Amino acid sequence: MVKPQFLGRTDTAMDDLLNDFLAETAEILAEAGGAIVAWEADPADRAQLDAIFRLVHTIKGSSGFLALPRVTALSHAAEDALDQVRRGNRQANAALVSGVLGILDRLGDLCTALGQDGAEPAGDDREVIGALAEQGAAPDASFEVAGVPLRRDDDFGTELQSWRSIRVPLPLLDSVMTGVTDIVLARNEFARMLRESGADLSVIASFDRLSDSIAGMRQSVSQMRMQRIDKLFAPLPRIVRDLAQDLGKKIAFQTSGGEVELDREMMENIRDPLIHIVRNAIDHGVEPLEDRVAAGKDITATISVSARQSGNQIEIAIQDDGRGLSPDALVAKAVAMRAITAAEARALGPKEKLDLIFRPGFSTAAEVTAISGRGVGMDIVRANVEKIGGIVELRNEEGRGLTILLRVPMTLTIISGLMVRAAGQYFAIPRGAVREILLEGGDTVRIDRVGGGELATVRGEQYPLLRLESVLGRGRHHGDDVDDRALVIVRPGQGQSYALSVAAIHDHEELVIKPAAPMIMATGLYAGTTLPDNGRPVLLLDVQGMLAASAIDASEAGRSHDRMAEAEAEAAAARNAAQLLLFRDTNARVRGVRLSVIERVEEVPASALFESAGRVQAQIGDEIFPVHAATAPGGEGSLKLLRLYDGQAVLCYPIAEVIDIVRLPDAVQPSAAPGLVAGVVLVGGEPVELIDPFWLMEQYAVGAAAATALRQPLCRLADDHDGWGDNFLAPILRSAGYRVISGDTPSDEAPDVLLCFTAEGARSRDAADGVPVIRLRSSIAAAGPGDDTVYRYDRQALLDALRRQIGGQVA
Amino acid sequence: MMEKLYLIARIADTRVALRSRAIHSVVTVGTPVEVPAAPPHVAGLFALRSRVFTLIDPHVVVGLPPVPVAPGQRVIVVEVAQHGYALLADEIEDVCFIDAPETRIAGKLLPGWARVADAMIEHQDASLLVVDPSHFITLPTLKAA
Repeated sequence: MVKPQFLGRTDTAMDDLLNDFLAETAEILAEAGGAIVAWEADPADRAQLDAIFRLVHTIKGSSGFLALPRVTALSHAAEDALDQVRRGNRQANAALVSGVLGILDRLGDLCTALGQDGAEPAGDDREVIGALAEQGAAPDASFEVAGVPLRRDDDFGTELQSWRSIRVPLPLLDSVMTGVTDIVLARNEFARMLRESGADLSVIASFDRLSDSIAGMRQSVSQMRMQRIDKLFAPLPRIVRDLAQDLGKKIAFQTSGGEVELDREMMENIRDPLIHIVRNAIDHGVEPLEDRVAAGKDITATISVSARQSGNQIEIAIQDDGRGLSPDALVAKAVAMRAITAAEARALGPKEKLDLIFRPGFSTAAEVTAISGRGVGMDIVRANVEKIGGIVELRNEEGRGLTILLRVPMTLTIISGLMVRAAGQYFAIPRGAVREILLEGGDTVRIDRVGGGELATVRGEQYPLLRLESVLGRGRHHGDDVDDRALVIVRPGQGQSYALSVAAIHDHEELVIKPAAPMIMATGLYAGTTLPDNGRPVLLLDVQGMLAASAIDASEAGRSHDRMAEAEAEAAAARNAAQLLLFRDTNARVRGVRLSVIERVEEVPASALFESAGRVQAQIGDEIFPVHAATAPGGEGSLKLLRLYDGQAVLCYPIAEVIDIVRLPDAVQPSAAPGLVAGVVLVGGEPVELIDPFWLMEQYAVGAAAATALRQPLCRLADDHDGWGDNFLAPILRSAGYRVISGDTPSDEAPDVLLCFTAEGARSRDAADGVPVIRLRSSIAAAGPGDDTVYRYDRQALLDALRRQIGGQVA
Repeated sequence: MMEKLYLIARIADTRVALRSRAIHSVVTVGTPVEVPAAPPHVAGLFALRSRVFTLIDPHVVVGLPPVPVAPGQRVIVVEVAQHGYALLADEIEDVCFIDAPETRIAGKLLPGWARVADAMIEHQDASLLVVDPSHFITLPTLKAA
């Protein structure tokens, strides 16, 4: 993204080179800042480190070419330090990260100066470079940002790919786009004239070819303007990190939906509002640590920025779990500022109270801080967003957080539109929101008047019916044929749908959408304007706004998703590590265990549990796992098992039922001695025993290791002439965790032990291949003191012998 | 010199002077496309060189009943907050250089006009209101309807 302030004069070829360098560097700096913060959160992430290294290396390379000694020295220092880390000669720590960020900042300053003066200013960078020099044992006391999943690795790969690009000034791109649109209009005009003049077929054919290439060109030009929104998100992690560090707050920052595409110009308009809102959230929204603890919140605050395409809008949500807005405090502030009078204040509704933050010069902070209370208020944010036809929405939960939604129309973008007619003029509907088109008079459609409203039933599914003419406040056009009337089944968003009745369906067209004037957008019915091929402007309908304007509930029964609940669930998933699964154990006690150690909850028949060698085991599928229980329950029915997993072994913990998943409270009353219960926490005022998975795993470590070992010991039954081994012995062996093959079955694998049923042959070890042998005798009495055979019905002796021979792998 | 250049036009049945630097161009329009449910001063949309402009009826802004748009009517194209608008003009007279200074508005104007007029200027033995075209666009969103 081109940072305008870096761009200076463009007089000579050298200046062009410099401008390219500045634009590219600005982009790299933004990218690298975010990447470094992500890397700091996970220093083991080699891919991230390599990416940062490459970015810094690129700056160094280009600056050397342009003879910018300070830039070269700075980037060299950063590259050097990162390389040390790559080679394993240096540990990544907060001091190193701060040092690299310091260098990036200085590079940014230099670039700004370069853009203004065209020359590198003189100065001393020793201090910044020195900060990067290795300190023996630098105390790592700095604050850590808790986890910044900036982007997935595969995202990063594609990002680097996109470096293969050239830079074009935006006005040039615009003029190309306007030019192409004009060409399209001229083509249409020409086409009409050709048809009217009755030109011969060869002329029309070659005109068609021209026409096709124009259409292709128009498509490409439009795509030139689109960009993934994660470009916009890239600098945010860095901002969050720095600010959190300055303010001593712990913040987990997440972004999602970075793949949504947006017009570059639109992106420029959202950039500052977005950064401002994020800064506000950190500074004002997120409480100081002690306040969060007092409020029973996780110390680490969560701020998430997500983008998604919804109908014909792009929705960017900035959500924090801070203190939210206090309407009363806002009113008090506004009155104190003399922005409103006390009488006006009393007349305000809840929503209007919140809207006070959009008043010019309004700052929510009790005192103006260096961070955000600098006069760039929410009024500017709103103005910027409205300039591009967007709206700013607040979703406030006092004490629990604030979500600010920026909805911007998908304008300046190419969308596939359905052209419909109503009240004698054309309107466009985004094709993406259209699910189905039906003739109103068709057999599959039934329209009922219910209590003044209308309802369309299509193949048994009911939809609220909106007539476009009535939504627009117009009458039916006299020229419309009733037979042409059509129903468009519209799905404006997740879980919503309605039927829109229009006078006629026209056709599909690829449309370039531009924002309409603010007073037209303010009607809430239109999402923009477009200029189709006939050259007459057409309004794009706002499929969501029409719903709001008609005050119709279009949520699909049973499928309505509360967006807040959805967001909540997402946020909860992100906090997995600090969550507690509450369950009732088999003795009806309520206990909890950290959700992160649970692999899953199994429901198994009671018969899957069995006792073997003094321990209860569970057979799940074709695997056997140890179970934390004194006895196998036996009987009919089923029971639930929590599968705990420590990365290597699995342990099952029987429970009666899962109760809930709650956030793990911060205060744990630890138990005096290590044991099954690590401590007690209060959940909803009730004490809950916290299971210690570490202790549990330790208890079963041996058994668990064997159970999950790839290979269970293999017993071969030799000389089993009467089938006793297969029928009587094999089941016992299998239940004790051995695999059994009988004498004749061929096997690639050498058995761990051989069980022989004849008492012939004196030695217990097969000399030929070193496989230990256990001999079984039929008589209960041993032949003599040297007899190492085992009586075949002595289960314990047999298992003991097996354990001795195999080395006690199986409990 | 640009500061002294004015467009003299008759809009909303009144002769006014518009500062030329505020004006993009003067063009003629065909039949505009209506915008249902829009505020009453929005007379429609029209396209000019692949840009869509919003047509404003100044009559409504100053409190008069709306007038229909005649094909071929001339409009004054202005740009406000990066959106293109066009003011319907009853008549475009001239672009001329007025050396006289702008003066404070003397006398009481109708409320509609008081909102849009900035000053007065003397031209060819007549007093003209100097109006800011952007006032025709922004203010009615608060007051209209």
